Amino acid sequence: MGMEQAWLIPALPAAAFVVITLVGKYLPRKGDWVAIGAIAASFVLFFFVLADLLDVVDEPGFTGGEKSWEWVSFGDFEIRLGFFTDQITIVMLAVVSFVALMVQIYSVGYMRGDPRYGWYFAVMSLFVAAMLTLVLADNLLLLYAAWEGVGFCSFLLIGFWWEKRAAAEAAKKAFITTRIGDVGLLIGILMLWREAGTFDISEIFEFAEAGGYGATYLTVAVLFLFAGAVGKSGQFPLHVWLPDAMEGPTPVSALIHAATMVVAGVYLVARMLPLFELADPIALNVVTGLGLTTVLISATMGLAATDIKRVIAYSTLNSLGLMMVALGSHSVTAAMLYLFVHAFFKALLFLGAGSVIHATEKQELDELGGLASRMPLTTVTFAVGTLAMIGIVPLAGFWAKDEILHFTEVGQNAGVYGLMLLSVFITSLFMTRLFIRTFLFKSRDPESRKHAHDAEPAMTVPLLILAVLAAISGFVVFSGVGEAMGFPGGFGEFVFLEHAEEFEFNWDIVVLSTVLGAGGMMVGYVFWANDAVPATRMGELFRPVYNVLYNRFYIDHVYQFVIDRVVLTGSSIVSWFDRNIVNDTGVDGSAALALLAGWQLKFTSTGKLPNYALAISSGVIILALVFLIVKA
Amino acid sequence: MIPIDNFLVLSSILFAIGMYGVLARRSALLILMSVELMLQAVSINFVAFAVYLSPEVFTGLVFAIFVIVIAAAEVGLALAIVLRLYRNRQTANVDEADALKW
Repeated sequence: MGMEQAWLIPALPAAAFVVITLVGKYLPRKGDWVAIGAIAASFVLFFFVLADLLDVVDEPGFTGGEKSWEWVSFGDFEIRLGFFTDQITIVMLAVVSFVALMVQIYSVGYMRGDPRYGWYFAVMSLFVAAMLTLVLADNLLLLYAAWEGVGFCSFLLIGFWWEKRAAAEAAKKAFITTRIGDVGLLIGILMLWREAGTFDISEIFEFAEAGGYGATYLTVAVLFLFAGAVGKSGQFPLHVWLPDAMEGPTPVSALIHAATMVVAGVYLVARMLPLFELADPIALNVVTGLGLTTVLISATMGLAATDIKRVIAYSTLNSLGLMMVALGSHSVTAAMLYLFVHAFFKALLFLGAGSVIHATEKQELDELGGLASRMPLTTVTFAVGTLAMIGIVPLAGFWAKDEILHFTEVGQNAGVYGLMLLSVFITSLFMTRLFIRTFLFKSRDPESRKHAHDAEPAMTVPLLILAVLAAISGFVVFSGVGEAMGFPGGFGEFVFLEHAEEFEFNWDIVVLSTVLGAGGMMVGYVFWANDAVPATRMGELFRPVYNVLYNRFYIDHVYQFVIDRVVLTGSSIVSWFDRNIVNDTGVDGSAALALLAGWQLKFTSTGKLPNYALAISSGVIILALVFLIVKA
Repeated sequence: MIPIDNFLVLSSILFAIGMYGVLARRSALLILMSVELMLQAVSINFVAFAVYLSPEVFTGLVFAIFVIVIAAAEVGLALAIVLRLYRNRQTANVDEADALKW
């Protein structure tokens, strides 16, 4: 067992999907144990793959373990289907298989009694299979197929409660918005393939390093690839779908819209970073710019959002932006480290929010509050997640965030660095608000608080495990910790683009980010403590600013306007053209012409034999004459 | 040896007479007889060309035999049709048999 068998990891959940879909309703518990068993087996398999990788990772010239089969071949043209394992893949595999396992267990409690309980586990399994395929794909075509697969599962799961109009619309919005990016991704893939003649990622890298692509061509191609990442990872300006995606069941948000699918874009850019490096610097500047914009707008929008899940969705956007900035600063290490720890604390936050919603059936911050005494376990774990997100020492988020800040300081100009620091403060502010408004002080809806309590073990155990990981997973940056677990060293010595880097304490950044984080928490406490009087007063004082934030910078409004006015006008013109020109004139017209011609011509058939004989003979004579003239 | 032109002129005359008959006559029997004339004109052409161009093989002669055989079969079929027509309409005039039209 090892990297050669890595394909089994996605194959198991895929098989679970098939089993549950076909015979799920005859199985006990509608087959949820099939889904959990499959993902648990995948998680175990992951360790075999990891052990195999660790055996060879130190060997010089190691680039990754590969196993591929012929997929399509016609003539000389061949597409191979393959799976590829290297350090970046391993990090993603760990995140996806582990978080999926936690979320599936949690879902047993959360989804109990749902009329489509079995279907939920089937689609979740399909999602996990697609996501793992995406991670392991060795060629861009398979990656693209899996990319669409996760998008489709995301669509199904956001719209899981499609009887609710908002859920159906959110699903549609998510699907269409990400599709816009996906078109770019496809164009990028085809551009890379057109010159290199292969979809294989390593071969494309070799081709690019040999200078096979023109500089401008490559820049355009990677920017198209990045468009796919922008859609999937909710970067500005395609971020609008992610907050709405919260209409889905909360475990779905935890798995798909926090820990795995939305980081697929980050993973794609990290994986293709050698190409971004070879391209014009403008490519990575675009990555940084959009990432930074996302960081800032999401943090500020999070300040005004009122739905507990939406606030966490904005924090996810914030984190995704941070990862993009890290990639824009040439650091795979920082981005992947953040991705790694983010999966734990963000899944934790979502599952905690799920517990709150499960217990109170409320998700507006204005109807929550004072839950700490009723749900101590949820409160404590949620607090760990919040602190990790803010980046307080020594929780996981702290190490990752400082790594990103460090690379931003080194790799970007002072303006970018300053805005990043500002975002640390705002993030801390809105995460503090979320926590205070949900768990502390007086409840604003005592009725729902009265019967709130911590959930059953199926839901609390994943919370606890994730909380522990959210607290300690950041220590992987230290060489000692990494070596103790059998890795070559700390995170930076395991996942890197060109050369390994040992983690170093950067006291400036540590002090600065801690001060900003803690400052944000204090200001947040002053603002939102008790009845949140200062915050309300601030909101009234800066009413226009508050309105802009509350209305999400009017970006959704602008899109709605564009869709209503431009897209629908355009489509009505096209539909008029189709109806009148293509259909009525072209299709119906040619049919009518044939009918008319037939009507006119049928009167020439008299039924009299001599007429036909005359027509045949004169026809032959004319043909003969024509033949003679042409020949002569 | 008789020049080939003579045969070709003969067959052309025969063919033209047959064609005139087909076009000008109204009696089904006479039209059938004219068709036979046209077929025999073609047969003469086949035989003449066969003898003049490649006397050592029998391709053209065989074709002539085929034409005769098929003409015999065709006449058998056509006479049966004419007979049915006459039984139904009490006439063999093809102008009367114009039911097969729009």
